[in-house]
This record gives sequence, C-alpha cells and structure tokens, in this order.
Amino acid sequence: MKNRKPMTLRQKLNTESVAGVICTMPFIIGFLMFMVVPMGISLYYSFCNYDILSAPVWTGIDNYVKMFTDDPKFWKSIGVTFYFALVSVPLRLIFALIVAMILVKSSKASAFYRAVYYLPSIIGGSVAVAILWKRMFAADGVINKILAVFGFPADFSWLGSTKTAIWTLIILAIWQFGSSMLIFLSALKQIPSELYEASDVDGANKFKKFFKITLPLLTPTIFFNLVMQMINGFLAFTQCFIITQGKPLDSTLFYTVYTYFQSFKFYNTGYGAALAWVMLLLIGLITLILFATKRFWVYDEGN
Amino acid sequence: MKKKRVILIAGIIVALLLGGCGAQGTDMDEPDKSQGSDKNATVELTFAWWGNQTRNEMTQEVINLFMENNPNVEIDGQFAEWADYWNKLATASAGHTLPDLVQMDYKYLEQYANNKLLLDLTPYIEDGTIDVSNIDENNLNIGRVGEGIYGICLTVAPPALMYNKNLLDDNGITVKDNMTLEEFYDVCREVYEKTGYKTNINYGSEVYLEYLMRANGEVLFEKGRLGASSPASLEPFFEIYELGLDEGWHLEPSAFAERTLGSIEQDPLVYGTSPDNKSWCSFMWGNQLTAMQNAAPEGMDVAIVTYPSPDPVKSNFLKPSQLFSITVDSKNQDESAKFIDFLVNSVECNEIILCERGIQTNTVVGEAIMPKLGEKDQEAIKYVNEVVIPNSSQVNPAPPEGASEVISLLTKLEERVCYREITAEQAAQELFEQGNAIMGSK
Repeated sequence: MKNRKPMTLRQKLNTESVAGVICTMPFIIGFLMFMVVPMGISLYYSFCNYDILSAPVWTGIDNYVKMFTDDPKFWKSIGVTFYFALVSVPLRLIFALIVAMILVKSSKASAFYRAVYYLPSIIGGSVAVAILWKRMFAADGVINKILAVFGFPADFSWLGSTKTAIWTLIILAIWQFGSSMLIFLSALKQIPSELYEASDVDGANKFKKFFKITLPLLTPTIFFNLVMQMINGFLAFTQCFIITQGKPLDSTLFYTVYTYFQSFKFYNTGYGAALAWVMLLLIGLITLILFATKRFWVYDEGN
Repeated sequence: MKKKRVILIAGIIVALLLGGCGAQGTDMDEPDKSQGSDKNATVELTFAWWGNQTRNEMTQEVINLFMENNPNVEIDGQFAEWADYWNKLATASAGHTLPDLVQMDYKYLEQYANNKLLLDLTPYIEDGTIDVSNIDENNLNIGRVGEGIYGICLTVAPPALMYNKNLLDDNGITVKDNMTLEEFYDVCREVYEKTGYKTNINYGSEVYLEYLMRANGEVLFEKGRLGASSPASLEPFFEIYELGLDEGWHLEPSAFAERTLGSIEQDPLVYGTSPDNKSWCSFMWGNQLTAMQNAAPEGMDVAIVTYPSPDPVKSNFLKPSQLFSITVDSKNQDESAKFIDFLVNSVECNEIILCERGIQTNTVVGEAIMPKLGEKDQEAIKYVNEVVIPNSSQVNPAPPEGASEVISLLTKLEERVCYREITAEQAAQELFEQGNAIMGSK
C-alpha cells in the first residue's frame, strides 16, 4: 500500500470498511428511514399546530408551554406513569431474583421450570393476554370466583375502582419477570463457588451469604435490569390501552396512552409529538440519574 | 472469493430493500397507469368503510355484485372499526393516499371537505351519473358543505331507546313513546323496585345531552364555541345521574369500567351477570335494533320507544348515518361516482344491505326492499315512519372541529359525576368553560 496508486472501483469495494458499510446497509437504511427521519419530522411537528388533515402551522413552543401550564391531564398521566414504573419495576426485579435463586440449583426439572417461568415474558405483552386479564379481573371474573371460595365477598369490581385498577396493571407487569429472571440466573451461576466455600468455613448462615456475597456480586446485573426495565416501564402501552383505556377517572392513564389519544383521537398531533419528546427527555433524565447513583451501590470488580 | 460473495449478497439485500421501499409507491400509482386511454382496461378502486362483522360481509357482497355488473372494475374493500378507521383515514390523507371511495360520517364531513380532501359531487349529480331524484332535498343537503355536495347520504337513523320487553311485560310495567322525564324516572324506579334491574343513561356518549338541549332550542356545538348559553343549560343532564345514583336505580360507574363502551355485545341491556350490573334500557340508534336483538340472550325481546324529552318534536330527529364520498386522491373518479350511484339507487344492492346501515334515503328503494326485511328491521322502519317522522325536527348542523375532544371531556365528566367526585353543577361549569376553550382553540 506504499505506492498511492488510485484503487479501482473493484478494489475499493473489496476494502473492509466499504464492505462493512455495505453489509450494515440494511440496518442503516432502516435506521435512517424508520427512526431518524420520523424523529426529525416529529420534532418539527412538536413545534406546530398540526391536525394531520391540514398542513402544520408553526407555533413555536406553544405546545410545550401549554403542557406545563395548562394541561392537568399531562401531570396526572405523569403521576400515574411514575407510580406504575416505580412500583412495578422493583417488585418485578425482586420477584425475578427470588425465582432465579430457586431455579439456579440444577435438577432435572429446573430446565422445564425455567422455560415455564419465562413464558409470561413472551406472551405477557400481547393483546390476547391483556384481554384475558380484563376478563379475569371483571366483577364476574375468575379472581372473584377464587376469592369467593375463601369466603371473601365476590363481586368487587377491580377495574372499576380508582384504588385497584392500576394494581391489575402492576400485577400484569410483575408477572412478566422472565427476561430479568434469565439474566439473574446466568449472573448467579457466575458467582465463584469459592466464596461460598470460604464463608462456610467462617460459619456464615444463609442470610449472611445472600447479603454479603450474592447481592453485592449481583449489583451490576441488578443495575442493568433496573435501567432496562425502567425504560420499559415508562413506555408501557398495550396493557393500559387494552385493559383500562385510562379508566376509571384517569387513574390508569399512562403517559403513552395519553400521547396516543392526543395524537390520533383528538387529532392534536403536534401536541402529541411534543408529549412524546418530553417523554424521551424524561427517560433520558431518569437513566442519567440511575447512572449517577451507580458508584454508590454497584459493585465494580475493577476497583 | 469470499469477500466477493459477501459483497454480492450485501448488494442483493440492498437492492431488495430499496425495491421494497419503492414498491409502496408504485402500488399506489398503479390505477393511474391502468386507466390510460383504453376504456376497456381494468380499473382498480379501493373502498373503505367502518363497521362490524355483519356489515363487512354485506358490503363485500355488494362489491362482488358491482364487479359482476362492471367486469372492467375491480374494487378492493378495506374495513376497520370506528376508531381505527379515522386513524387510518387521517394518516392516509397526510400522505395523499386516501382510498378512492370512503364512508364518511356527519361529524367529519366538514373537516375533510374544508381541507380539500373530498371531491365536490355536484358535476356528477348534474350530469346524472349519480341519480338523486328519489332522495329528499333535506337528506341531499346533509352532504352539503358551502357550495358543494361532498357526500351522498345513503341512510338515516333515529335515536331509539331500546328496552327489555319481556322484563317489563312480566312485571306489568309499561313504557310509551314521547315520555316526559318524570314519567321515565317513574319507570326506572318501578323497574328497580320490582326487578332490581338498573338504568343506563347514555353513559359515555353525548347524544342524549344533545337531545335534551334541542328541547330548549339549543345545539351542543357551534363554530368555535359550545351552543349552550350558560352552564345552566348543561346541568339538568348531569343531574339525571345524581338523581339515579341517589335513588339507586342508575348503574354504578364501575359496571362500565369493564366494558367496551359502544359495543353492542357488551351493552348492559344484553350483557351482565346480575340485575345489579344490567340495565333495562339502552340509548341507541334505530338501525341497531336487529344487531341488539341478535346480541340479546335467548328468549329476550328487544323493543324501541323514543328517548324521553320534555319536548319530543323539538328533540327528536333523524341522523344521517352514512355518507359516501369520493376523495381527491382518487384516480378513477368517474367509476367511483358510478359505484355511489349503485349504492344509492340499486334495489338489488340494497336488498343485500337491508337496514343494517339505517333506513334508505332513497324512498323508492326503501319501498322496494320492504318485503325482504326481517321482523326487527320492519319494526324499526315502522318506528321511523309512524313515531319519529311526525314528531321530529331537522338534525343539528354537523359538529365542527374540536367536537371529538369535547365529547371525550363530557364522558370524563359523566364518569366523575357518577363516581361522586364532583356535583352536577361543577360538571356543567367545567364542561362549559373547558368545552368553550377547546372549541375556541380550533
């Protein structure tokens, strides 16, 4: 390559960087066309009064001003979404960790159980399960029937009360603990067994072992799961959209569903775009905060 | 060699991808090319409507019939549920890829026409392509926006209070047309005392509020504001819920949280586990009688009377339930016009549709299909001719932009009143203030 003879097209195509670019083209084109361009357009719309049917009209930051000063539903939906994410994500992680601890012991049946417990993660976000959930928690649904067996009053409307409706969604979210569980499982298996053997010699009990060895060594995994699940929690849509539609009294109105209603039900698409951008910033901010706290509680092997 | 192969494969992938992206464009241009100058070439039309399973099957049959009669036309029918339909149409209009033919609703007609998305049909009416000679002037004007006619109204439907006839008969309770509100409350109380069945006052909808306001000569929506002169005009409607809940005969709001509002199959009239979460009546549209009867449990007979009102003549009306329009994106406007003419004027076609979409505006066709109608459809027609037409007035003008957001606000307020979070007075105040603000911002 010392002599700088210009390469022919054929040679150029054969260089690794060019081949690499070509091979990643399917992704790059998809990313540009279906992510970057639509995001750019939506950013533009968020500064417009746009109702889909007629051309967008530039209104500057009006949408954002309205959101923060003159839209009680915006605050309501933020409150609901935070409540949902902050309650369901930690509970889901605790649940995932407990199940992972049980399943980490190898036995003939554990592979089977791992698959079974992972199942809800695959099907839990689907429309079919959402509809099933709605039926289960109906006044005449199976949950009430089971409670009746134990002598509890059996006609409580779980979805009709502002106090319980959000919990049906939270329980559905907790039930989808499978993917966090799998990640915990593999992390548990990587904890060196010498540590446990050493602690046995020192006479540590099970609780001590869990809190002094298992948990600290799991913190990087917990951190990863927390960040991923938090983002998912804030973006939850299907459950609310199918099961409650924000009812009753907006007590389950997720931010994403509110964005959808504004954009496609009321045709305030410009305002909807602005809502979406605020959500993006919010999630970014929360992730940043999580990363900022990382050094206080996440065990880092390097140090 | 290996590298070459990789590049070759990559190239193919890119080509496929680009091809895929491009295909969408060519798909939509196709009708354009196929039309050309050759009259015999196949013309492709797309036709979109909202509806239910019954309607979808009927409409597909109609399309097949039209294609048999016009072998050079091919129609692609696309249907969706009400809410999805308007999402789909709105996004298609943004990309100027609207179907050739669309089913329009009174609520949206003005918005679509004013945004120049629909074609003025006047030339087709004048040259006779669309024959409107059997359609009443009033019904034709329903499609009018400004100077042009942007939709042909196929059917009209009356508001109708459906009720559980056996339940009432068995308990010796009678209902009649043109009840006053007091008479209606008495029925609600009597039904509740004797049977435990409750009442559902049009929860989740604006229709009955509009109906009551009409009795005072007010409309719900005007351009840029609400038609109510003060919150006091809106309050009586919310007071019905308060009264019903105080006296125990109105359904608890939790009964609605589990249902899809607007779904006939889940209406408290026909669906529920105990009288506690069922209603003896339902505020509906007349053309839905057959569908409601079909959804009703075995042995239950559904019948109709008018909505209660202090002034039935002023309150009652016939609503244009289905309009058909041609969009500006259509490349085959002549053939589309022919299809609309077929929908409106062909007896054969309407023998398939029957009264599922409402009662035909074309009176000649309406007469002709009479013998084919089922029992419930005939009951609905009799109701329109004998009860509604002699005692009704002109429908309100089409609601302007912002209406759907106000309706959503209204249903939220109904919910809050029923959960006893606010009083009827507060609800009326809030609807008046926020409703006017929403309408004013459009």
